[in-house]
Amino acid sequence: MACLHDHNCEEHDCSSDWSLYKHIDLSKVSALNEAVSGSVKSVFRAWEQRLNSSEGYLESNEGDPELIVFIPFTSDVKLKSISIVGGVDGTSPAKMRAFINRDGIDFSDAQNMQPVQEWDLVENLQGVLEYQTRYSRFQSVGNITLHFPDNFGGDTTQIHYIGLKGEATQLKRDVVATIVYELMPNPSDHKTRAETGGGLSQVE
Amino acid sequence: MVLEATMICIDNSEWMRNGDYSPNRFQAQADAVNLICGAKTQSNPENTVGVLTMAGKGVRVLVTPTSDLGKILACMHGLEIGGEMNLAAGIQVAQLALKHRQNKKQQQRIIVFAGSPVKYDKKVLELIGRKLKKNSVALDIVNFGEEDEEKREKLEALLAAVNNNDSSHIVHVPPGPSALSDVLISTPIFTGDGEGGSGFAAAAAAAAAGGVSGFEFGVDPNLDPELALALRVSMEEERARQEAAAKKAAEEAAKQEKGEQQSTSQDTTMTENVDPGTSEPDKKTHDLMDDENALLQQALAMSMDDSSSTVAVRDTDMSDASADDHDLQLALQLSVQEGAVDQSNQTDMNKLLADQSFVSSILTSLPGVDPNDPHVKDLLASMQSQSEPNKEDDKAPKEDEKK
Repeated sequence: MACLHDHNCEEHDCSSDWSLYKHIDLSKVSALNEAVSGSVKSVFRAWEQRLNSSEGYLESNEGDPELIVFIPFTSDVKLKSISIVGGVDGTSPAKMRAFINRDGIDFSDAQNMQPVQEWDLVENLQGVLEYQTRYSRFQSVGNITLHFPDNFGGDTTQIHYIGLKGEATQLKRDVVATIVYELMPNPSDHKTRAETGGGLSQVE
Repeated sequence: MVLEATMICIDNSEWMRNGDYSPNRFQAQADAVNLICGAKTQSNPENTVGVLTMAGKGVRVLVTPTSDLGKILACMHGLEIGGEMNLAAGIQVAQLALKHRQNKKQQQRIIVFAGSPVKYDKKVLELIGRKLKKNSVALDIVNFGEEDEEKREKLEALLAAVNNNDSSHIVHVPPGPSALSDVLISTPIFTGDGEGGSGFAAAAAAAAAGGVSGFEFGVDPNLDPELALALRVSMEEERARQEAAAKKAAEEAAKQEKGEQQSTSQDTTMTENVDPGTSEPDKKTHDLMDDENALLQQALAMSMDDSSSTVAVRDTDMSDASADDHDLQLALQLSVQEGAVDQSNQTDMNKLLADQSFVSSILTSLPGVDPNDPHVKDLLASMQSQSEPNKEDDKAPKEDEKK
């Protein structure tokens, strides 16, 4: 596959570098202010497919260019760089702010909080530009939240592809999702099948 | 079964003193809130519900989102009515309360009870709506109490701004005989976006529908499966027994029936009996008696020598005896054949009788027949006999003698 990098691609395989998408927990990916619920999942693809957005792309609601994308990983990763392919006619995002290992960031949080790193983006329709991270800060990333506050003047913001380059460690963080702690055991919380149903036998 | 955190915004303004909902608007609202809390916590045990009031001195959060139903019901006691409802502030505080929910995986939902007039304009409400949509918060609006076009328009605009994929709803409840909670039970606010409804909502709806549950036998299989099963089985048994009895009665009627009129009447009575009626056993005994009457009548008819019509019918009846029993059929066929022979003789004899009576009248009218009177009598007597050739022989010599 010809990639438009200014190096000789036969020496190394670009696609293997951008393979962090395999470590994304796609079922838990979410976005705020997306026009079509669930469309955010379509922007994570292999490097070769980065320009092929036939399965849909992420678009914000009309008249509101802000977007927040929450990306959890299946294990901690070391993130080296990020690539964004935007849309045409000014719908590409102009700024990107990243937050690490924080759950449930919404727009008011994102606007008030200090990001771990922020970048000014340019229109990158071919997906050849990558934005490097301050690697020391991105050493054990369990999840990352990307906030795109602005675009280049379009009515909406479109994102066709998000590429992540880095290494995946095998470490996992936050394995236990939500725990309800019991101060005292409560029998009513632990009903067995025999107790429910009042003793009626099954009539098949 | 969606994992949800809900904030309920209660209107406790002065307008809630009105009695157009029984007992008053505030009580109706409180009942509805209780029902909603119950439904939410039942549909998913990890759901949380919180309550805040919008009027009074200001927006006040009574209980933050919790799954403890008792806490929620307790906080509804001792609420005071007064002041004016602040819709915008109420919704914003609700959004803030949801933002700080403990389980970030829960979907956010706000339920607003809008009973008093809305003083904010459409633009402000639309802005709030868009902000909710942006933060993927769903909004359910219950429009009750004060009715005016402006309020309706504003709330509809708010809903349009918030609505994302039909996750938000609005319900207009006009004052009427049915309680606010009953009206709400059938709405998507209770049934949760058409997921099929929680069992709670469905059962409550069934109960509230009033009397007729619409279930077979009037017993809810969910509530009492054993009773429903027993009723169904006994109904089927009764139906099977009635069908068997009806079939048996039909067979008997086909076998024993002689008269055409009686047969048709029998058929009609039989068809009536085929319907599963509770008085079927009584009817059956009546039919048996009818059979006996029919037999008697047929016997009388036979003796009256009115057999020409009945005999023919008898033939058809015998052949029509559509008994399922093969042996019975064979027996019937045999008897029919024997009877046919007899009957054919009888029919011929009848014809002969008619002829012979004519002939005998001629004979008696002939002169010089007197010594033949005993012969004539013999002839007449022989006519009654069954041998046809004898008659012909008698006839021939008699005629010869006459000649």
